[in-house]
Amino acid sequence: MQDKNNPLSPHLQIYKWQISSLLSITHRIVGVINILAITIICFFSLSLLLGAESYEFIHNLFKSFLGKFIVVSICWTFSFHILNELRHLLWDLGYGFDLKVARVTGVLALIGSFILTILFYLVGKNIF
Amino acid sequence: MVQFNLPQNSKIEIGKHYQDKTNSKNIKKVNIYRWDPSTGQNPRVDTFEVDMDNCGPKVLDILFKIKNEIDPSLTFRRSCAHGVCGSCAMNIDGVNTLACIKSHTDINGDLNVYPLPHLKVVKDLIGDLTTLYKQYESIKPWLETEQTGEEKTELQQSQRDREKLDGYYECILCACCSTSCPSYWWNGDKYLGPAVLLQAYRWIQDSRDGDKKERLKKVADELKLYRCHTIMNCTNSCPKGLNPAKAIGSIKKMLATS
Repeated sequence: MQDKNNPLSPHLQIYKWQISSLLSITHRIVGVINILAITIICFFSLSLLLGAESYEFIHNLFKSFLGKFIVVSICWTFSFHILNELRHLLWDLGYGFDLKVARVTGVLALIGSFILTILFYLVGKNIF
Repeated sequence: MVQFNLPQNSKIEIGKHYQDKTNSKNIKKVNIYRWDPSTGQNPRVDTFEVDMDNCGPKVLDILFKIKNEIDPSLTFRRSCAHGVCGSCAMNIDGVNTLACIKSHTDINGDLNVYPLPHLKVVKDLIGDLTTLYKQYESIKPWLETEQTGEEKTELQQSQRDREKLDGYYECILCACCSTSCPSYWWNGDKYLGPAVLLQAYRWIQDSRDGDKKERLKKVADELKLYRCHTIMNCTNSCPKGLNPAKAIGSIKKMLATS
């Protein structure tokens, strides 16, 4: 268009969120969080080489409420990313594009991620 | 480039409020995006109170009623009025669709009407689709054959091969899908977008076409094709019930297996 002063029509501001788009952006955000989480876990493991004191530090951190919250959150981010990635694998194989199927698998991935998180938590608590 | 906020000249201001003059008890408030190129002002959202007792069932009927009875300067594209031409594609109640087949009785509360998202606005509800049409041209939406035109027999297609085009040939290029796609919003200059990729797939799939390999090669590009992250806003918005996400998935699969 010649006239560059024409306004841009609104996009994110007005577009209604769909289940599919919401899960897609969550998948992305959660992916970034997972990378950070893995990096931090690596540094934690490395710090154990420094001896008992650093172990004590990490131990206390995980025992605090904030620590527990972070660990449970990371359990969820990993669960969600894995389950939603399964949908992506299915799509890459050419299945699951039907609107209803995509919606159902999306909701299943979301519900499944919470169930997995609870399972992880219970396993961590040595309940099984 | 990803830019979440609207540029300064596109920020939406509060517009005029047209009060109902018919004393009707069945009123619907309709908020419509307005921009007039002759004033040099920012776009605004006008609110119209529309008498629903004397209005047809579709959103396009509301727009016509406003244009005929309240504000004749309201500008929008329309032609066939029954979902065949794709002219009246716009963002209604947050989702792109055709005004002529979208029933306003489905929508509770105020009705919000905006032009198709992330386009340069020409006037009011009309967005500029030049880029999309150029991209459409770039995929050569015609049969490429070695026929000279001298042949005595026509190019034939078996029933089975013809069926492969079902769900793709119906596309009316209304641009609802492309302009619903966040990837297309951020990379619209390079990424082809769902509408054009669905068309690309339609020609790749055509048994009469002789240029399949070349077509696939041309579309196999990090930006042109793989900016699709299966967000599926396209399929969710298609007023003809087609599945652009599946078409793009099929192209990706073809490339992976060929």
